[in-house]
Amino acid sequence: MTSTYASIILLFPLFSAAAILLGLKKKANISALVATGSALLTLVLSVLVLNAKEWSSVTLLQWSKVGGLELGIDLKIDQLSSGMMLVVTGVGALVHLFSLIYMKKDAGKARFFAGLSLFMFSMTGIVYSANLAMMFIFWELVGVSSYILIGHWFEKNSAADAAKKAFLTNRIGDFGFMIGILLLWAATREISFDGLSNAVAAGNMAPGLLAAATLCIFCGTVGKSAQFPLHVWLPDAMEGPTPVSALIHAATMVAAGVYMLVRVSFLIEASGWAADVIAWIGGISALLAALMATQQNDIKRVLAYSTLSQLGYMVMACGLLASEAGMFHLFTHAWFKAGLFLGSGAIIYACHHEQDIWKMGGLKDKMPVTFATFGLCTAALIAVPFTSGWWSKEAILEAAYKNDGLLFPIAAGTALLTAFYMTRLFVVVFFGKGRDSHVAGHAHEVPMLMRAPLIILAVLAVLAGFALIAGPVLGDEYAKYSQFHFSVPAIVSILTLALGVGLGLKLYAGRDREPVNIKLFANKFYFDELYAKIVKLCQDSVAAVARVLDGLLIDGVGVGGTRGFANMTGNALRRIQSGNLQGYACLFGAGVLVIVLLALL
Amino acid sequence: MPAYYLEIAVVVLGLVLLLVEAFTPPQHKRRIGWAALAGIAATFLLLLTVKSHCGCDSPMWQFYDDSSLSLFFKGLALLCTAFVLMLGLEYLPVLEKYSARAGGGPATGEFFALPVLICAGLMWMASAIDITTIFLSLELTTIGFYIMVAYMRRNVGSLEAGVKYLILGALSTGILVYGLSWLFGATGQTGLDAIRTALPSAARGPALFAFALILIALCFKIAAVPFHFWVPDVYQGAPTPVTAFLSVGSKAAGFLVAIRLMEPFLAVESLRTTCIAILVAVACATLILGNLAAIPQGNFKRLLAYSSISHAGFLLLALASDRHTGELTSTRIIAFYLSAYLCMTLLAFAVLIIINKSTGSDELKAFDGLHRRNPFLGFATLIAAASLAGVPLTAGFLGKFFVFIAAAGAQQWLAIGIAVAGAAAGFYYYFKVIRHVYWNTAPEGAAAIPVSPVAKSLLIILIAATLVLGVYPQLILGLL
Repeated sequence: MTSTYASIILLFPLFSAAAILLGLKKKANISALVATGSALLTLVLSVLVLNAKEWSSVTLLQWSKVGGLELGIDLKIDQLSSGMMLVVTGVGALVHLFSLIYMKKDAGKARFFAGLSLFMFSMTGIVYSANLAMMFIFWELVGVSSYILIGHWFEKNSAADAAKKAFLTNRIGDFGFMIGILLLWAATREISFDGLSNAVAAGNMAPGLLAAATLCIFCGTVGKSAQFPLHVWLPDAMEGPTPVSALIHAATMVAAGVYMLVRVSFLIEASGWAADVIAWIGGISALLAALMATQQNDIKRVLAYSTLSQLGYMVMACGLLASEAGMFHLFTHAWFKAGLFLGSGAIIYACHHEQDIWKMGGLKDKMPVTFATFGLCTAALIAVPFTSGWWSKEAILEAAYKNDGLLFPIAAGTALLTAFYMTRLFVVVFFGKGRDSHVAGHAHEVPMLMRAPLIILAVLAVLAGFALIAGPVLGDEYAKYSQFHFSVPAIVSILTLALGVGLGLKLYAGRDREPVNIKLFANKFYFDELYAKIVKLCQDSVAAVARVLDGLLIDGVGVGGTRGFANMTGNALRRIQSGNLQGYACLFGAGVLVIVLLALL
Repeated sequence: MPAYYLEIAVVVLGLVLLLVEAFTPPQHKRRIGWAALAGIAATFLLLLTVKSHCGCDSPMWQFYDDSSLSLFFKGLALLCTAFVLMLGLEYLPVLEKYSARAGGGPATGEFFALPVLICAGLMWMASAIDITTIFLSLELTTIGFYIMVAYMRRNVGSLEAGVKYLILGALSTGILVYGLSWLFGATGQTGLDAIRTALPSAARGPALFAFALILIALCFKIAAVPFHFWVPDVYQGAPTPVTAFLSVGSKAAGFLVAIRLMEPFLAVESLRTTCIAILVAVACATLILGNLAAIPQGNFKRLLAYSSISHAGFLLLALASDRHTGELTSTRIIAFYLSAYLCMTLLAFAVLIIINKSTGSDELKAFDGLHRRNPFLGFATLIAAASLAGVPLTAGFLGKFFVFIAAAGAQQWLAIGIAVAGAAAGFYYYFKVIRHVYWNTAPEGAAAIPVSPVAKSLLIILIAATLVLGVYPQLILGLL
């Protein structure tokens, strides 16, 4: 039964996208309802799958079978994928509902909802895939559908550029991912997770090769989950509509990278030093992103850098061989970050699409529901004790404390910065007085259909960490994470929280202008400029070489020579093809003679 | 139900159509076409219910094989005939113009009855496992084609093509009979099974002589170099649906016969090396000539003629790379390649017929600016050309890819090199068509090109088939 449900969960969004693109495009409202309906249906089915707990694997489509290589659309239904599906469809359904209002008057509404459905289809494919090939296919589909969604307002240059940047940056990571898959296939002749797991456990791979393959696979995560040094696309991707940011930059697309790491955790565990590299990349990303977040003025960008930073935590956990902790944080983070993004969407909607926090202010009274829900989600993000974020971050800090002496201070520092920049955001947006009368002056609470998702997400932000919720979704072994006990990480965590919030209040309470100015952070450590320089340099030098080669070798000798030869023979052959029947019969006879001679001599 | 009832049904269908045709008034000849189409479609449905190796007792099984391979090629023949009949319906106006009786109305009824009889021959050929039945069925199709090629009796080109095909065809038939008689002389057997057991003890010289003669005759049927000279002229002169039929149906059946007849020779180690060498040599010559000669062509029909030759080269290469282990036997590769070839070639011919009906020209120039005159037709041309050239995600790509796999397994490196160069040249001349469709502008005052509902459904089916086979080859491979 569960396998049927899972197949429907996978295929329904595809049907919805196809129906909209092929038939309903002109009927925007029906399109929106079809997509939302499909999202809600998949949510219900996900709950049923999770409830039934019948784990199985099912082959939906045997795509091709060449030698020992069997490529297929195989669904793997287990605790991990079912739990992840609940996150994806849960956040997805809420985002669909929110978008019904947010995108109400958009000209490309039907296209937007078709993109959402396509995205849900791709994401579901990643979650359910039982082999790396299928995961890669859907990985790329996620890339394509995020391109469509980020670039939804493609008439804006910045949106089109951001979509392109996201796509290209991801391509770099995906290239490594593909090499990793090929390496694993070459070494073990296995492509399914189960088969690979057995092969690795049997010690069929040389340690060096295994580490290399793991790092290549990890490249996929670096791209998709926007880890250092491929983190540059995520903040720009905020050019997409805000519900998209909530969906793909909080709960799904960027989480796919971490989900994949959890799926291949058996590789990481066996890979030795590669695990350390992964942990350090995660730690560095977490810290750098938190530093950059402190100086951003665009409400969505702050959240974007915060996402980067939290993803860094998760990746670090996976590298520290505590993938359960990573998955736990993914789970809790999905709810509160989606809540924050949708909350920011509500604020932006109320403020007539203004995103600069220094033009807002005093929204506390005008948007009480948004204020309350945003506050609860912020509390979870900065890990106020007993909120969901606290439990999961605690698990990661614990892992860092146990495993690596240096990563723990980094993680703790990130926690401090998180508390600091979120306090800054919260204080500047909701307190003080409205700084720009055009923006904050006319703000008012958003409609019910937008408030409902916020409230649901806020409730989950607080409660999702408790064993009551996390247990059934992620597995009973997660119950141990939500039991409080005193330890060094717990104390450090509370101290950093107090320090961060205190510092934030001290600096920003009652301010109307940015009191600190750190150019390096505001300009994101100049990564974009650096990459642009490098790309330009490489491109220019390759282009110069290519120009010489193209002119002399390709055009001159290659094309010219081939063309001359082909023309000459073509004309000669045309002469033989005279249309003269006697001639043909004669040539036929000659052919007979040649073949017979060949046979007999 | 034994499979040979199908052939009987098709023959009866053909005869009934001929009878009815005599009493049908000229303005209603189109109905004969629809009746033939319905009959063929019904037979195809019947075929789906037939299981291979029915086990019933009959003397027929000495001559007749009903393995899944045979049934597959029967299906191919039926589908091809159905598509050709649809093309014929589309082509009717042109046909009426050139087939008028002296002082009377057009005589187009037989044009729909003859393909049915040819189809019976093709289906029989798919099952023939005795050299006598192979020969008979081959002649049944060939004689049908003689008439079909020359059908437009008021058109000099069609008549000339008919004469050329008749004379060269007779020549090749003579050589085939001669070769078969040597085979009989060497082994004393007519059944292929018996020949397979007798051949290893046969004298080497006569066996190889028989091989060479049979190969020559089959090369004529499948349009391989150096017995291809008829192809461009006959293709260009014949009515276009007949050209399509020749290029797909005749070639498919020819290849199945080639697989059957070559197999006993290739199984004998002492003959094998020579036989393979000759096959590879013919394949290489076909690839080189077919592709090079296609480059300067400015006439789409002639271009397709050379394309047909070049595809024969790929298929021969697959035939020469037997003993490829694993899932992809050369038989399966050939079956897949021919299915792909059927889709894309019929697609190209369908486009050509539609354009010819509007513009009266087969030249590439008639395709100028097609994407503006009818975007759907332009897209169909794009798919056909891309698949013929072998762009990934089309059926044509996988066909070529499988051939390369098999050839690499057989270590035919030189032939692979030539095939790669040929495929590259193919990109040039097929994309030339795309250039005409999308880049060149239509001549002043060119009108939109209408597409009838029948033609449109045919195009949609073929486009879909080309794309589906391009990503899901298992659909065909799973049948064998």
